[in-house]
Amino acid sequence: MTEQKTEKRSIYRMLVEYDRRIIYLFIFVLIIAPLMQPFSLPIQVSPGTMTYYNVINGLKKDDVVLVVFDTEFSGYMEIQSGILASIKMMFEHEVKVAIAVSHPEATGIPQLVFDQLKGVMDQHHYIYGQNYINLGYIFPNEASVASTAQDFHSIVRQDAYGKSIQGTFLDNVNTWKDWTLISDYTTGIQSGSLINHYGLRGTPMIVNCIGVMISTQMPYVSSGIYKALLESMRGGAELEYLTSSPGPGLTAMNSFTLGHYLLMIAIILGNIGYFGYRSEMSRKAKEER
Amino acid sequence: MDIIEVSIVGVGAFLAICMFTTLYGKSNPLYALAEESYIGFGTGLTIVINLLFIYKTGILGIQAGDWLLSFGIILGIMVLARIIPKYSYIARVPIAIAIGAQFGLALRTTIFTGFLDQIRATIFPLLTGDAMTLLNRWTIALSVIFMLSFFFYTTELKGPLRWSARIGEYAMYVAFGGIFAQTFMGRLSLFVGFMQNYTVPPWKIPYLLGSLIIVFAAVIILDRAKLLEKLTPEE
Amino acid sequence: MSSFFKSKTAQLTIMILSFLAIFVPYFIDVPVMTTFSTKLITITAIVSAFTLLLALYSQFRRGYTFIQKKKRGWIFKAYMMISIVLMLVFALFGQETGPYNWVMYAIITPLSSVNYSILVFYMASTGARAFRARNTRALLLLITGFIVLFYQAPLTGAFFPQLTPVALYFTNTFVAAVAKMFLISVTVGAIVFGMRVLMGKETTILGFTKEEAS
Repeated sequence: MTEQKTEKRSIYRMLVEYDRRIIYLFIFVLIIAPLMQPFSLPIQVSPGTMTYYNVINGLKKDDVVLVVFDTEFSGYMEIQSGILASIKMMFEHEVKVAIAVSHPEATGIPQLVFDQLKGVMDQHHYIYGQNYINLGYIFPNEASVASTAQDFHSIVRQDAYGKSIQGTFLDNVNTWKDWTLISDYTTGIQSGSLINHYGLRGTPMIVNCIGVMISTQMPYVSSGIYKALLESMRGGAELEYLTSSPGPGLTAMNSFTLGHYLLMIAIILGNIGYFGYRSEMSRKAKEER
Repeated sequence: MDIIEVSIVGVGAFLAICMFTTLYGKSNPLYALAEESYIGFGTGLTIVINLLFIYKTGILGIQAGDWLLSFGIILGIMVLARIIPKYSYIARVPIAIAIGAQFGLALRTTIFTGFLDQIRATIFPLLTGDAMTLLNRWTIALSVIFMLSFFFYTTELKGPLRWSARIGEYAMYVAFGGIFAQTFMGRLSLFVGFMQNYTVPPWKIPYLLGSLIIVFAAVIILDRAKLLEKLTPEE
Repeated sequence: MSSFFKSKTAQLTIMILSFLAIFVPYFIDVPVMTTFSTKLITITAIVSAFTLLLALYSQFRRGYTFIQKKKRGWIFKAYMMISIVLMLVFALFGQETGPYNWVMYAIITPLSSVNYSILVFYMASTGARAFRARNTRALLLLITGFIVLFYQAPLTGAFFPQLTPVALYFTNTFVAAVAKMFLISVTVGAIVFGMRVLMGKETTILGFTKEEAS
């Protein structure tokens, strides 16, 4: 009986004082394993994602969209599902797409996107310069964003590959008024600047942001500056589901689910250990008295 | 898959797992290797990209006839005077111009986006919409008012103000629970996205697992041999 | 000449004129002023890009000091400095292919990805060790957190759709309210700080030390 009591006490203590590397190991295993054998899970589409989908669906042929990769490469890892699903929709609607980046690490993203969407681009006869263009790193700071909003060609004369943009569809773009939509994929680098110099002036904006930014971006949705907000990888997965184009988002949802459950189980076990150990200690103190 | 692609995956997986060795709990030379690689090559990338921006915006603009942009180049070179302590005061003029301009850009718009529009969006739509929409809007409006009252430091919180602050405090804790969940989702997504990069397509998996085994085995062996601290750079 | 650069009044005047050149044309549309304002914004963009080049100097200074003192692991700092130079050299061979492109995808992008994704481990272990339902506030935080976490996991959201409106209510109201509250407060603070700088009360931002400012 005494041995059983000792064992029970040490379980509570174990739950409070375990090596945190055990959690690290569990996270590694629970995330990697489902990725090696992905299987589909059903997913519920949130109203926010539905609004985002409707905005892109409302685009017409030859509308001019500015796509901004406002993220470091780590952010791209999180929101690549939303990026690929959104831009695929734009290509399917045959809109004209100009891509700009605001971080040096993001200069490698456009080519990755083009490589993955090559099939759709060929299907809709996308020609560089006529239907899409990669402008590269043109938004290093707020002043450059403001400058392009007031006089686009004062900042941008060449594309990312050093070719002149004269003779492309950007000849008709001079100020913020000439864009049909700004689609910002952001970790917060120039999102504030885009809001201040494009969104506030009335250029429609949609945003796909990382998870930590969701709460800070909500006020702009309610004030009407953002037409829609796509939330992190989960939002990207929902968009993939809506557009019937499974990609990195949907295949990640298994790992995503297990990661969430692991955290909840860890918190519950931690609390069981804490309260159990606390009552053990107070019982011990009473016995000693 | 060609040799370049394989080398990119192999080296990338190795360095990335080296970065993860910080989770082992002790500083180690493999983490230092990954850290200094990122700092070095990342700084080089930033310099290259910014030089290109200065060339495309400034130099090409001047060549196109916009001679006013030469002031940008001259002022930019003056900023670099900060490197020489004896002449660092030269950088004050371009910094003053840049700061004044940045304040002008920020203040002319932030007043609307961060203040007036937010108040308008909170207060005005309180009487329109269906039941669920009204419930949401009133919850937001009342929560904002109660939460703001929690941060009143200029007057003693008593009577109705004390209750308002107390409700605001509890509303904030409810919000923090949601924010924690969203933040965790964001960080988890980053990790899942990174792992996807090294598990799709499946030929990348052996490189990932191989790097995991080799790197962590090396760290454990170095730790057992008491060589970790000797080989790790000083902070 | 140097007295002009060292004069606090001169720098403040330049800053205020620069501020007005950008601020006023936004509200009063005079074509000449608007054109000048746009040019000044472009010049500011170029000047701000130059400040990022100072990163090169600071990294080299840091590394050189470390190597000079022959601290343990100085070889890593030497490697860091060599890698900066290598990247600048590689850029000369072109950015779409070649060694620059290889370094971008083999070194920079994987390390950038890991940089922030490590935080999930720390969040999970901290959440497990620190989140205790000790009082009402902590309990509220945990309950809301659990509801939103359950909703976010697609499996739960799909099989228990009753949870969705509750989770969405919390995120669309309380979370949005706290974000609005912080945004309004931070905006007011930023405006006040901006006014203080323009009135000359915060001169350290211009590079004046406290002694020079007084």
